[in-house]
Amino acid sequence: MSLLYDEGQLAIAAETRKVLEARVNTKEMLALLEQQGLFHAPFWETAKQQGWTALALPEAYGGLDLTLVELGLIALQTGRTLAGAPFLTTSYGAARAVLDHGSEALKDAWLPRLASGEAIGAIAFAEGQEPVPALPTVTYAHGLLNGIKPSVSGGSQAHLAIVLASEAGTPVLVAADLTGAERQVFHTFDNSRCTANLVFQNTSATLLASGDAALQAALHVLALQSVVTAHEQTGGAEALIEQARDYANTRRAFGQPIGAFQSVKHRIAELYGLVELARANALQAAASEGQPGFLKVAAAARIQATEAYDTAARDCVQVHGGIGVTWEGGLHLHMRRSRTLAVEQGNLLFWEDVLVDQLTGEMA
Amino acid sequence: MSDIEAYSERAREWLQSVAGEFGGAVRKGLSDAENLALGRRYLKARFDAGYAGINWSPEFGGQGLTHIEKVAFEAEEMKFSMPSGFFGISLGMPVPILMKYCEDKAFAKERVLKALQGEEIWCQLFSEPAGGSDLAGLRLRAEQDGNGWKLNGQKLWTSFAQYSDYGVIVARTDPTVAKHKGLTYFWVDMKSPGVEVRPVKLAAGDHMVNEVFFDDVRIDDSNRLSPVGGGFSVAMATLMIERYTATDSAGFGPHLDLFISLAKETKIGGKPAIEDGRIRQQIARNYAMRNGLDAITARAMLMMRAGMEPGPEGSLNKLVSVRSRQKLSELAIDLQGTDALHYDDQASSKDDWQASWIGAPTGRIAGGADEMLLNTIAERILGLPQDHRPDKGVPFNQIPA
Repeated sequence: MSLLYDEGQLAIAAETRKVLEARVNTKEMLALLEQQGLFHAPFWETAKQQGWTALALPEAYGGLDLTLVELGLIALQTGRTLAGAPFLTTSYGAARAVLDHGSEALKDAWLPRLASGEAIGAIAFAEGQEPVPALPTVTYAHGLLNGIKPSVSGGSQAHLAIVLASEAGTPVLVAADLTGAERQVFHTFDNSRCTANLVFQNTSATLLASGDAALQAALHVLALQSVVTAHEQTGGAEALIEQARDYANTRRAFGQPIGAFQSVKHRIAELYGLVELARANALQAAASEGQPGFLKVAAAARIQATEAYDTAARDCVQVHGGIGVTWEGGLHLHMRRSRTLAVEQGNLLFWEDVLVDQLTGEMA
Repeated sequence: MSDIEAYSERAREWLQSVAGEFGGAVRKGLSDAENLALGRRYLKARFDAGYAGINWSPEFGGQGLTHIEKVAFEAEEMKFSMPSGFFGISLGMPVPILMKYCEDKAFAKERVLKALQGEEIWCQLFSEPAGGSDLAGLRLRAEQDGNGWKLNGQKLWTSFAQYSDYGVIVARTDPTVAKHKGLTYFWVDMKSPGVEVRPVKLAAGDHMVNEVFFDDVRIDDSNRLSPVGGGFSVAMATLMIERYTATDSAGFGPHLDLFISLAKETKIGGKPAIEDGRIRQQIARNYAMRNGLDAITARAMLMMRAGMEPGPEGSLNKLVSVRSRQKLSELAIDLQGTDALHYDDQASSKDDWQASWIGAPTGRIAGGADEMLLNTIAERILGLPQDHRPDKGVPFNQIPA
């Protein structure tokens, strides 16, 4: 895959941006913050209509056979507009787990529904501070899951969950139909992520991988989702730079636009650097899927994007002064989203360790 | 294999074949004079092998290829630590300007051929004590003198002036107009009476830069390379020539692999430093940052090959990489504890943390200080306002000191 977008890819990006800007707005996103477990229905309808749900899945299962590069381009645009649901990422991760590790029957059962967007997928690996626990507390025995997976993104709405569990002291990756599973919804700082605890009580599930292979599979799915998320984070940061720039060009103080003060303009110029580094890393990681070293560049993309979005959220609010901290101004939506995305697919601390392990392993 | 990959491979083979004569390994411990002599021989060999003036016209002894081949060759050459440093500025800016703006083509061609073969060196006399970042604030005067000009004043930070045969110089020819409008661009023979070069010893102990004094230095009007009062735009053109040049995401400091090796060899609290979270975080952050810069560079190369203009993000490399090199070098010194206090003046900043650390500030200042680069990004790329400039539009001789 090339590091250069072709015309078709650029057209996807432009069209996505146009559609999203017409259908997503700050006011509706603000309203979602005050409701638990709900998502922005017009966004998800748009994603289905536009075929974004099918984008990176194989044609044989109703997909469009495109790649992580195109999905990344969509995610970048959703990041810009603060898309009101996490499912593009979570359904993709779930679909990839089924595609890469599931039986034909499982693929037939789930992939066409995930591709159409009729079904929503979620990833349930993390338990508290461990993004990929070596021995999860959720158990799997005789085809049944028991236990609680806490704080699953998309959990309140998902139909399918890919769960990292333990079977007699061995990690296993399984696919669980969530029909009938209990979901505990609670208040989060970014409610449209549909975060919920998944409570399994003899929930039937299908084995995908076992032992070390289960952990490797989980890490790979997380890496794929991380690359999608890195694009989303880059998009959010990009939108924030533009807002900071526009505000600094119009807001006047001490007789000149505040953007003429170096403390402000240099802050925004530094953000530009962070965003371009994040963008370059994200594209390179997407283009490296399926190649040796993917985990390394996925980790790098994740780290750089998290730094870019966090910093952009922090600094853009600062450039805006008082107006930046109002509810109505909506910049806190990006603050909330930046921190949510930062922890959803494994936090910075986790990916830093993954990256260093890859780098030192390479040299050993 | 693409044409350009084949080109790079041939270049690599040639560089490998002469590495034993000119490369980093044989240069260890050489004096400046010995390095320069070796460099002159290397340039001659490079010229004979067809890797000189790669993107210059064959009319001037060049290869008639594009900047893509030029950058590809530079990227390979950089890996061998060849003694080409003395000639980098000469061939990077002054000589191309001479080719483009000198009306006496026969003279220009003679100079270009000698410069390409390492026989002559050119320097760039731009910065002054009162004009570095603010280039247009320079004060060195050129006054009309019969049918020529007389230069009086001082230049500063002129790299390799002590080895230079010629220089290009920007001088103030009219102090009564706004600062950008009163400048004129010339070339000057550095052996002229009245030119005095005094090397400036830098913090790292080297003498690469100089102050150059001009005391009634007489030049002909044929030395003029711009219209009278039109020097600033030629100066800007000079700085634009080096747009397509090989970059180094390590900021011309050690590669991250060397830091990882150091972290494996050293201990913190009795445990390997590579297991320490603080060290791991720095490795991870630096890797991500450098990987981003490398991806930007790789994308720019692809764009050039596709006939497109690379994006402005290429301008980030120097700003980001040298700062990170500086901090990583500090951390590498910390990692060594008091063992770090051993110091070798001759060590290379590419593989020695102390040398990298002490030279890093120069990298953050020379060729565009961090603050100027940030201003450029803010103003040119993002469209933010210019700084408040009290000297704007004011005749040079009325700007408050």
